[in-house]
Amino acid sequence: MKSVFYLLDTAPYGSEKAFGALNAAAVSLNRMQVTLGIYGDGVYLVAAGQDSRKLGVPNLSDILYSYGELRVLVHEPSLFERGLFGETLIETVELVDEEDFLESMESSDCVIRF
Amino acid sequence: MKTLTIVLTDGPYISEYAEIACKLAENALKRYHVNIFLYLDAVHIPKKGQNPSFFTCAGELLTGLAEKGAVIRACARCAAARGYIAEEENENGSNCKNYLPGIKISSLYELSEMLSKSDRVISLSR
Repeated sequence: MKSVFYLLDTAPYGSEKAFGALNAAAVSLNRMQVTLGIYGDGVYLVAAGQDSRKLGVPNLSDILYSYGELRVLVHEPSLFERGLFGETLIETVELVDEEDFLESMESSDCVIRF
Repeated sequence: MKTLTIVLTDGPYISEYAEIACKLAENALKRYHVNIFLYLDAVHIPKKGQNPSFFTCAGELLTGLAEKGAVIRACARCAAARGYIAEEENENGSNCKNYLPGIKISSLYELSEMLSKSDRVISLSR
Protein backbone atom coordinates (compact mmCIF):
# COMPACT_ATOMS: atom_id res chain seq x y z
CA MET A 1 0.00 0.00 0.00
CA LYS A 2 1.33 3.42 -0.92
CA SER A 3 -1.59 5.47 0.33
CA VAL A 4 -4.09 5.24 3.14
CA PHE A 5 -7.33 7.12 3.75
CA TYR A 6 -8.38 7.35 7.39
CA LEU A 7 -12.12 8.00 7.54
CA LEU A 8 -13.40 9.68 10.69
CA ASP A 9 -17.16 10.10 11.05
CA THR A 10 -17.30 10.27 14.84
CA ALA A 11 -17.33 13.47 16.89
CA PRO A 12 -14.24 14.29 18.95
CA TYR A 13 -14.30 13.84 22.76
CA GLY A 14 -17.29 11.47 22.96
CA SER A 15 -15.04 8.50 22.35
CA GLU A 16 -11.40 7.65 21.69
CA LYS A 17 -11.98 7.30 17.96
CA ALA A 18 -10.89 10.77 16.80
CA PHE A 19 -7.77 10.59 18.96
CA GLY A 20 -7.09 7.10 17.58
CA ALA A 21 -7.53 8.25 13.99
CA LEU A 22 -5.16 11.18 14.50
CA ASN A 23 -2.48 8.96 16.04
CA ALA A 24 -2.80 6.34 13.31
CA ALA A 25 -2.57 9.03 10.62
CA ALA A 26 0.46 10.61 12.28
CA VAL A 27 2.48 7.39 12.47
CA SER A 28 1.67 6.57 8.85
CA LEU A 29 3.11 9.80 7.48
CA ASN A 30 6.67 8.54 7.16
CA ARG A 31 5.71 5.48 5.08
CA MET A 32 2.66 6.37 3.01
CA GLN A 33 0.67 9.15 1.49
CA VAL A 34 -1.92 9.82 4.17
CA THR A 35 -5.32 11.49 3.94
CA LEU A 36 -7.61 12.06 6.88
CA GLY A 37 -11.17 12.32 5.60
CA ILE A 38 -13.62 13.92 8.00
CA TYR A 39 -17.28 13.20 7.48
CA GLY A 40 -20.54 13.44 9.42
CA ASP A 41 -20.11 14.28 13.11
CA GLY A 42 -16.35 14.08 12.60
CA VAL A 43 -16.43 17.64 11.24
CA TYR A 44 -16.70 19.04 14.78
CA LEU A 45 -12.99 18.18 15.03
CA VAL A 46 -12.02 21.08 12.75
CA ALA A 47 -13.93 23.83 14.58
CA ALA A 48 -11.53 26.53 15.78
CA GLY A 49 -11.34 27.64 19.38
CA GLN A 50 -11.85 24.30 21.09
CA ASP A 51 -11.08 24.14 24.80
CA SER A 52 -10.99 20.58 26.11
CA ARG A 53 -9.25 21.30 29.44
CA LYS A 54 -12.28 20.58 31.59
CA LEU A 55 -12.72 17.23 29.85
CA GLY A 56 -9.21 16.23 30.86
CA VAL A 57 -8.27 15.24 27.33
CA PRO A 58 -5.93 16.83 24.79
CA ASN A 59 -7.21 19.49 22.44
CA LEU A 60 -7.63 17.34 19.35
CA SER A 61 -7.79 20.24 16.91
CA ASP A 62 -4.38 21.40 18.18
CA ILE A 63 -3.00 17.91 17.47
CA LEU A 64 -4.49 18.03 13.99
CA TYR A 65 -3.10 21.50 13.41
CA SER A 66 0.38 20.38 14.43
CA TYR A 67 0.60 17.85 11.58
CA GLY A 68 0.76 20.33 8.73
CA GLU A 69 1.95 17.67 6.27
CA LEU A 70 -1.21 15.63 6.84
CA ARG A 71 -3.82 16.13 4.13
CA VAL A 72 -7.16 16.73 5.80
CA LEU A 73 -10.32 16.66 3.71
CA VAL A 74 -13.52 17.93 5.28
CA HIS A 75 -16.85 16.91 3.77
CA GLU A 76 -18.49 20.27 3.14
CA PRO A 77 -22.11 19.02 3.14
CA SER A 78 -21.55 17.65 6.66
CA LEU A 79 -20.50 21.14 7.77
CA PHE A 80 -23.64 22.61 6.21
CA GLU A 81 -25.90 20.07 7.86
CA ARG A 82 -24.48 20.93 11.28
CA GLY A 83 -24.53 24.71 10.87
CA LEU A 84 -20.74 24.88 10.87
CA PHE A 85 -20.28 26.26 7.39
CA GLY A 86 -19.19 29.89 7.83
CA GLU A 87 -17.87 29.21 11.32
CA THR A 88 -14.15 29.62 11.88
CA LEU A 89 -12.30 26.39 11.18
CA ILE A 90 -8.68 25.45 11.77
CA GLU A 91 -6.54 26.52 8.85
CA THR A 92 -4.92 23.32 7.67
CA VAL A 93 -7.96 21.64 6.14
CA GLU A 94 -9.47 21.42 2.65
CA LEU A 95 -13.22 21.62 2.19
CA VAL A 96 -14.46 19.27 -0.51
CA ASP A 97 -17.82 18.28 -1.93
CA GLU A 98 -19.30 14.78 -1.95
CA GLU A 99 -17.79 13.88 -5.31
CA ASP A 100 -14.24 14.92 -4.45
CA PHE A 101 -14.45 13.25 -1.06
CA LEU A 102 -15.48 9.94 -2.62
CA GLU A 103 -12.91 10.26 -5.37
CA SER A 104 -10.16 10.67 -2.80
CA MET A 105 -11.38 7.55 -0.96
CA GLU A 106 -11.49 5.57 -4.19
CA SER A 107 -8.04 6.66 -5.29
CA SER A 108 -6.43 5.65 -2.00
CA ASP A 109 -5.03 2.14 -1.74
CA CYS A 110 -6.96 1.41 1.45
CA VAL A 111 -9.55 2.97 3.74
CA ILE A 112 -9.45 2.59 7.52
CA ARG A 113 -12.65 3.66 9.23
CA PHE A 114 -12.96 5.09 12.71
CA MET B 1 3.10 -14.60 -0.96
CA LYS B 2 0.75 -11.64 -0.76
CA THR B 3 -0.07 -9.98 2.53
CA LEU B 4 -3.47 -9.20 4.04
CA THR B 5 -3.83 -6.90 7.04
CA ILE B 6 -7.02 -6.70 9.09
CA VAL B 7 -7.53 -3.73 11.43
CA LEU B 8 -9.97 -4.07 14.31
CA THR B 9 -11.11 -1.31 16.68
CA ASP B 10 -14.04 -2.87 18.57
CA GLY B 11 -13.88 -5.02 21.65
CA PRO B 12 -15.17 -8.60 21.64
CA TYR B 13 -18.91 -9.44 21.69
CA ILE B 14 -20.17 -5.83 21.26
CA SER B 15 -20.11 -6.66 17.56
CA GLU B 16 -19.36 -9.68 15.39
CA TYR B 17 -16.30 -8.06 13.87
CA ALA B 18 -13.74 -10.06 15.84
CA GLU B 19 -15.38 -13.31 14.76
CA ILE B 20 -15.77 -12.13 11.16
CA ALA B 21 -12.12 -11.07 11.07
CA CYS B 22 -11.05 -14.48 12.34
CA LYS B 23 -13.13 -16.29 9.73
CA LEU B 24 -11.65 -14.11 6.98
CA ALA B 25 -8.15 -14.64 8.31
CA GLU B 26 -8.60 -18.39 8.64
CA ASN B 27 -9.42 -18.68 4.95
CA ALA B 28 -6.91 -16.06 3.85
CA LEU B 29 -4.06 -17.94 5.54
CA LYS B 30 -4.30 -20.54 2.77
CA ARG B 31 -3.04 -17.96 0.27
CA TYR B 32 -1.89 -14.89 2.20
CA HIS B 33 0.45 -13.88 4.93
CA VAL B 34 -2.04 -12.46 7.45
CA ASN B 35 -1.56 -9.60 9.92
CA ILE B 36 -4.19 -8.51 12.43
CA PHE B 37 -3.75 -5.19 14.22
CA LEU B 38 -5.79 -4.61 17.38
CA TYR B 39 -6.47 -0.93 18.00
CA LEU B 40 -8.53 0.98 20.57
CA ASP B 41 -11.00 -1.39 22.34
CA ALA B 42 -9.90 -4.30 20.17
CA VAL B 43 -6.94 -4.75 22.53
CA HIS B 44 -9.41 -6.50 24.88
CA ILE B 45 -9.97 -9.35 22.42
CA PRO B 46 -6.93 -11.47 23.43
CA LYS B 47 -7.54 -11.16 27.19
CA LYS B 48 -7.09 -14.40 29.13
CA GLY B 49 -9.96 -15.91 31.06
CA GLN B 50 -12.88 -15.00 28.81
CA ASN B 51 -15.88 -17.22 29.33
CA PRO B 52 -18.73 -16.07 27.09
CA SER B 53 -21.88 -18.09 27.72
CA PHE B 54 -23.41 -17.83 24.28
CA PHE B 55 -20.61 -16.83 21.93
CA THR B 56 -17.40 -18.28 20.59
CA CYS B 57 -14.44 -17.09 22.64
CA ALA B 58 -12.91 -14.39 20.45
CA GLY B 59 -9.54 -14.55 22.18
CA GLU B 60 -9.16 -18.26 21.50
CA LEU B 61 -9.95 -17.67 17.83
CA LEU B 62 -7.04 -15.22 17.69
CA THR B 63 -4.71 -17.62 19.45
CA GLY B 64 -5.65 -20.32 16.94
CA LEU B 65 -4.77 -17.99 14.10
CA ALA B 66 -1.43 -17.11 15.68
CA GLU B 67 -0.63 -20.83 15.88
CA LYS B 68 -1.27 -21.04 12.13
CA GLY B 69 1.11 -18.20 11.39
CA ALA B 70 -0.95 -15.02 11.58
CA VAL B 71 0.91 -12.06 13.06
CA ILE B 72 -1.30 -10.44 15.69
CA ARG B 73 -0.28 -7.23 17.40
CA ALA B 74 -2.01 -4.85 19.83
CA CYS B 75 -1.38 -1.12 20.11
CA ALA B 76 0.79 -0.38 23.17
CA ARG B 77 -0.90 2.90 24.09
CA CYS B 78 -4.39 1.42 23.82
CA ALA B 79 -3.30 -1.67 25.75
CA ALA B 80 -1.65 0.27 28.57
CA ALA B 81 -4.75 2.46 28.91
CA ARG B 82 -6.78 -0.70 29.51
CA GLY B 83 -4.34 -2.37 31.89
CA TYR B 84 -2.40 -4.64 29.55
CA ILE B 85 1.30 -4.05 30.02
CA ALA B 86 4.06 -5.20 27.69
CA GLU B 87 6.84 -7.18 29.40
CA GLU B 88 9.49 -9.66 28.33
CA GLU B 89 8.24 -12.22 25.85
CA ASN B 90 7.16 -15.39 27.65
CA GLU B 91 7.22 -19.04 26.60
CA ASN B 92 3.73 -18.70 25.10
CA GLY B 93 4.89 -16.26 22.46
CA SER B 94 3.20 -13.29 24.08
CA ASN B 95 4.74 -10.32 25.88
CA CYS B 96 1.75 -9.70 28.15
CA LYS B 97 0.86 -11.96 31.07
CA ASN B 98 -2.84 -11.12 30.64
CA TYR B 99 -2.91 -12.09 26.99
CA LEU B 100 -3.54 -15.46 25.39
CA PRO B 101 -0.59 -17.16 23.63
CA GLY B 102 0.81 -15.77 20.41
CA ILE B 103 -0.49 -12.20 20.64
CA LYS B 104 1.95 -9.41 21.36
CA ILE B 105 1.71 -5.78 22.37
CA SER B 106 3.53 -3.59 19.89
CA SER B 107 3.99 0.00 18.81
CA LEU B 108 1.40 1.81 16.71
CA TYR B 109 4.21 2.25 14.19
CA GLU B 110 3.79 -1.46 13.43
CA LEU B 111 0.32 -0.65 12.06
CA SER B 112 1.92 1.71 9.58
CA GLU B 113 4.52 -0.92 8.66
CA MET B 114 1.85 -3.61 8.23
CA LEU B 115 -0.27 -1.35 6.01
CA SER B 116 2.64 -0.26 3.85
CA LYS B 117 3.69 -3.88 3.22
CA SER B 118 0.16 -5.16 2.53
CA ASP B 119 -1.49 -6.02 -0.75
CA ARG B 120 -4.97 -5.96 0.77
CA VAL B 121 -6.34 -4.23 3.86
CA ILE B 122 -9.66 -4.83 5.61
CA SER B 123 -10.89 -2.42 8.27
CA LEU B 124 -13.76 -3.52 10.51
CA SER B 125 -15.11 -0.81 12.77
CA ARG B 126 -18.50 0.33 13.98
